[in-house]
Amino acid sequence: MARLMAAPVGIAMQAVSKNFGAVQALVGIDIEVKAGEFLSLIGPSGCGKTTLLKCIAGLLPVDAGRIVIGSRSVSGPGGREASLVFQDFALLPWATARENAEFGLRLRGVPAAERAEAARRALAKVGLAGSFEQAYPAQLSGGMQQRVGLARALAVNPQVLLMDEPFASIDEQTRRILQDDLLRMWSEERKTVVLVTHSMEEAIYLSDRVVVLSPRPGKVHRVLDVPLPRPREARDVRASGEFARLVDELWQILKRMQ
Amino acid sequence: MIAAGMQEPAFGRSGFLAIAVLLVVWEILGRLQLSIFVPAATTVAEAWWRLAAAGTLTSAGASSLVSLAKGFALAAVLGIALGLAMGRFRTVRYLLDGWINAFMSAPLSALVPVLIALFGIRDTVVAATVFLFSLFVIIVNTMTGVRGTERSLVDMARSFGASEAALFARIYLPSALPAVMLGLRLGAVQAVKGMVVGEMLISLVGMGERLIYYGNTFLIPELYAVIVSVLLVAIVASTLVQMCERALVRWK
Amino acid sequence: MKILALRGTSLVAFLALWQWAAWVPVSFNFPTPWATLLALVELLRSGALLAATATSLQSLALGFVAAVVIGVPLGLVMGVARGFGRVARVYIDLLIALPTAALIPLVILSFGISIASSAVIVFVFSAPFITMNAYGGVRDTRPRLVEMARTFGASWLQLFGRVVLPSALPMILAGMRLGLSRAFLGLIVAELLLSPFGLGKLIMTSRSMFEHDKMFATVVWTLILSGAALAVLARVEGRMLRWRA
Repeated sequence: MARLMAAPVGIAMQAVSKNFGAVQALVGIDIEVKAGEFLSLIGPSGCGKTTLLKCIAGLLPVDAGRIVIGSRSVSGPGGREASLVFQDFALLPWATARENAEFGLRLRGVPAAERAEAARRALAKVGLAGSFEQAYPAQLSGGMQQRVGLARALAVNPQVLLMDEPFASIDEQTRRILQDDLLRMWSEERKTVVLVTHSMEEAIYLSDRVVVLSPRPGKVHRVLDVPLPRPREARDVRASGEFARLVDELWQILKRMQ
Repeated sequence: MIAAGMQEPAFGRSGFLAIAVLLVVWEILGRLQLSIFVPAATTVAEAWWRLAAAGTLTSAGASSLVSLAKGFALAAVLGIALGLAMGRFRTVRYLLDGWINAFMSAPLSALVPVLIALFGIRDTVVAATVFLFSLFVIIVNTMTGVRGTERSLVDMARSFGASEAALFARIYLPSALPAVMLGLRLGAVQAVKGMVVGEMLISLVGMGERLIYYGNTFLIPELYAVIVSVLLVAIVASTLVQMCERALVRWK
Repeated sequence: MKILALRGTSLVAFLALWQWAAWVPVSFNFPTPWATLLALVELLRSGALLAATATSLQSLALGFVAAVVIGVPLGLVMGVARGFGRVARVYIDLLIALPTAALIPLVILSFGISIASSAVIVFVFSAPFITMNAYGGVRDTRPRLVEMARTFGASWLQLFGRVVLPSALPMILAGMRLGLSRAFLGLIVAELLLSPFGLGKLIMTSRSMFEHDKMFATVVWTLILSGAALAVLARVEGRMLRWRA
């Protein structure tokens, strides 16, 4: 469907540090995310990957350095360039799927007819067209709820997608399907994606690059290139030897950090 | 949903501060003599001492507390037993839950005249009112506690061949204990309310009678003194149960 | 079907117990279920019951509506302004712990014997619970939802209106239901003590004239009335909260 799409922009994290009182969560983070790139953040528990994502989203202020999305320096939440997808879906339980997908647009004052249309398009893109629109979150499975969360993030037409362990609460079979759907959607509308994950497989399968953070205080430990050919969802990438080798390489890096 | 809104008083530093402020404001308002219905806090304290010294408070209080203890003890025993049965056995639950729900939201005070018809105008009515007011909260909370027992624990015990009695003693009861204690704490507060209502309606004995008396005779500082005493009884009763809870439920 | 049978059985058992209580010489004051029913019909026919109900409902409506109109906003403010909430809740907790009936003589002294008095008593009985539930509803808002809304650029007003308030609604409505049941409780205690008005008066008058069947009938009627009012409120609540699992 031909529609004006926001061109993706890059993210620059320059010497970013963040501490909570006496606890140093992040130190000297320097990462350049290219426009349209799919980047994963991985690391042991407590390494600060979710904290870093929240800093990019503007939910947490940085204590040193700065984060620039496109041409704008991040100073608070609610910026137009980026939207978030949450691990626990964060859907409004009292709203239908369509109303949830509309939420971001509603906050921005988009008129009813226009935002209903945009929400419907977004829901169709994530595979939830038709009768699902009127369902409440309680009536939807975990996978479907996350699709709604994704639709909500897409409906506001962001240039950057920030995902905080989006598939962690979902069973593995549904997770694989959602990962493929994510890649398919991403190849249609190239956005810059930063995904936080615990899963090495997921990081390698989805990303162009994987950034490994060290245990607290979180620093950039390694950056791993993932030169696997795309589209990955169309081929049996997981069965390839190259995939297994990359996953193992990532595992070795992580193992040595424990 | 009855538990919502009946949370335990969260006294702490802000609590003492708030009460201190209240006492100061009360004192000031009283001194200003804005209304004969608002005596100063110190006047009330004086009245309280006078009543305590004269023994009026003690004898009224004693009568009240005896009825309270009788009614509450009976409600606790019967309430826990029924709650356990209703929680464990679906049949019992379906038999009784209609009544329980009906009585929980009903104005139980309407039943006091019925109790008077049953027992006559005597202090037994007070104990009966206490019993009625506290019984249902105890039943509902106990039942909820039993029903909330994790299925996996029950299955595990049964897989090791536990008998019905053993299941009750080792799985259901310990698991339901926090809820039972909550029910007893809420029940204690309800019991004191029932005590006052019962005593005021028969107007014969106890602190409730004193409330009516001082109201009728316009002895306002004394009236306040009894109100404060009643409040103290409620708080002490609830705190006592809380102490028992802390002693019994250490793993929470 | 089995459930219906069980409930029916317990109803029959209750009536049988009642009938037995009426026969046993100990409680010679007890009217039989049938006598109560007859008295109920008679009271309805003569209009006495409906007149008393109208008077009672006036006080109830006045006091309860005031409790909602004041209690809900107060609870919301307490939930949003944390400092204020922490202090205010101490006073409200005291009011909840206090046997509210103890305040009735004081209210009667201050306001005299009137419908206003009854309304004030109803208010004092129900407002604290309504307030605390609204307060709890605001405080229990899932932080994640607030965070999510902030990422989409929600202003404070939008946060309150689109996330906090809808999230608190179930507890607010539950608080109103609890408050209504407390309102009836307060009303009846007030009227039993005040006597010149409403259903309470009818109960006390019947008792003093030893017309126990009329007294029982009025008590039953009162219980039915409060049950019906609560059922209506529960229905409204169900309608408004259709999204619940």
